[in-house]
Amino acid sequence: MRYLIKREISNYFSTPFGFVFLGIFLLLSGLSFVTYNLVGGNGDLAGMFSLLGSMSFMVFPILTMRLFSEERRSGTEQLLLTSRLTIPQIVLGKFLAAVLVLLAALAVTLVYVMIIGVYGYPNWGGIFASYLGYLLLSTAMIAICTLTSSLAENQVTAAVLSFGALFVLVMMSSFSRNLQIPVVADILSALAVTTRYDEFTRGIFRPGPVAYYLAYTGAALFLTVKNMQLRTLR
Amino acid sequence: MITVQSLTKQYGAKLGVEDISFSIQKGEIVGLLGPNGAGKSTIMKMLAGHIRPSSGQIEVDGIRADERPREVAARIGFAPELPALYPEMPVKDFLRFITEIRGVPRPRRAEQVEEIMKLSGIEQVAGRLIKNLSKGYRQRVGLAQALVGFPPILILDELTAGMDPKQIADVRLLIKKLSDKHTIILSSHILSEIQATCEKVIILNKGRLAAVSDMKLLNQSGGEGDSFLLRLKAPKTMGEKLLAGVEGIQSIRLVPDSREESTSFFITGAGGVREEIFGALARQNVPILELRTASATLEEVFLQLTGEPQNEEAKD
Repeated sequence: MRYLIKREISNYFSTPFGFVFLGIFLLLSGLSFVTYNLVGGNGDLAGMFSLLGSMSFMVFPILTMRLFSEERRSGTEQLLLTSRLTIPQIVLGKFLAAVLVLLAALAVTLVYVMIIGVYGYPNWGGIFASYLGYLLLSTAMIAICTLTSSLAENQVTAAVLSFGALFVLVMMSSFSRNLQIPVVADILSALAVTTRYDEFTRGIFRPGPVAYYLAYTGAALFLTVKNMQLRTLR
Repeated sequence: MITVQSLTKQYGAKLGVEDISFSIQKGEIVGLLGPNGAGKSTIMKMLAGHIRPSSGQIEVDGIRADERPREVAARIGFAPELPALYPEMPVKDFLRFITEIRGVPRPRRAEQVEEIMKLSGIEQVAGRLIKNLSKGYRQRVGLAQALVGFPPILILDELTAGMDPKQIADVRLLIKKLSDKHTIILSSHILSEIQATCEKVIILNKGRLAAVSDMKLLNQSGGEGDSFLLRLKAPKTMGEKLLAGVEGIQSIRLVPDSREESTSFFITGAGGVREEIFGALARQNVPILELRTASATLEEVFLQLTGEPQNEEAKD
């Protein structure tokens, strides 16, 4: 599986996709750092992660649009499906490659933490919770986009599907808050992917939301595996 | 080595291939021949495990593809008509990646990649990005990909499409060389391609099996006794009238002849019919300009078996 991860990561940077993702991510985080921390004088990164969280439905489709759809379009999907790799390994390999690119982007933002550490009064607990929360939210969103990419026939469709799915899931938190119908409101609230994220950015760390995001990621990856298995039966 | 029984593939309401059965022995070079849309690629994709049959069975070395698809896939190297390649990768890195995912043991990977590149004639483009290669070279990288792990069965779909005559000749030699150690199934809609390379031919038409035959038998007989080409110095009507009276002729067909003074016929009949023809024409003082044994071309066989001409492209 590590060969697949290696190939996927090198593919991100042999095409513009990796650079576009990193560029947008670092632009957003940099702007937020300047306004919220340097100008605003805050010692945590709540502003940056709040902005990244709300913009994530725009950046993750870029990161994941090619994962499966491009392989399908070019026929290379069959190279993987007839190799020694199992379908769960293929899905996990592609997912982990996207997560590793995200980690590289997050690693760059540690520069902001160092600047706060040297020149300001850092809230270490808040910073740690923010990073953990964003990582959990991002992996869940990448897993959802992995699923949509596995459903699409080409990368444009994959990007549009991912964008639509994430947009609806982010918007669901507003719907569920205002909805009075008991069971439906609960279901919408469970699906609303950003609802449990805000408390991380406020520096609150509870096991419940951690388990929620891990389950969300697991469920999306499981559905991706099932979808791929169904495709091979056709 | 490969047994196919009642293979059928349906795409929605449309039938891709229907009730195809054949078997292929170890070491054979088998050609799948048929016009575009005859079902060649569909059969190849099913054999390679890329698509599942709607019904029917494929067995490779006694292993059923529906029960143990991965084991069957491991025995087959498939080069599809449109080669499945990663355009952003250099050729050598791509082949290296394929050795990794096909489970070639680590110490043998570099050596195998070099050997395969040499065999496929792509050493000189090893460091180039696949997206910058010509169509012919991409086809060869597709062949190289199929060779990774040296699987006992190679399935090559329209491999020479897009290659120049030199590359086609090289690939034919390579296929002959590979047939020492591999069973090879190749498809083409170009008749001469199959004639030049294959020992056995499976002819398909409209998704159905039209014939399975040894290439030598087809070349010799065309399925209808001996064949002759006769050129006479006489008008068409006279030639037809004279030949109609010769005993032993099974069929007479006019062959286009650009020369004004002569008429050509394609004749089938028993071997002794040549003497009868000679005698009949000599008695009428009609000069024979040419009388030779003619192997029926695969095109003629195709016509006989399918009842329709190959498309124009197929006459290359």
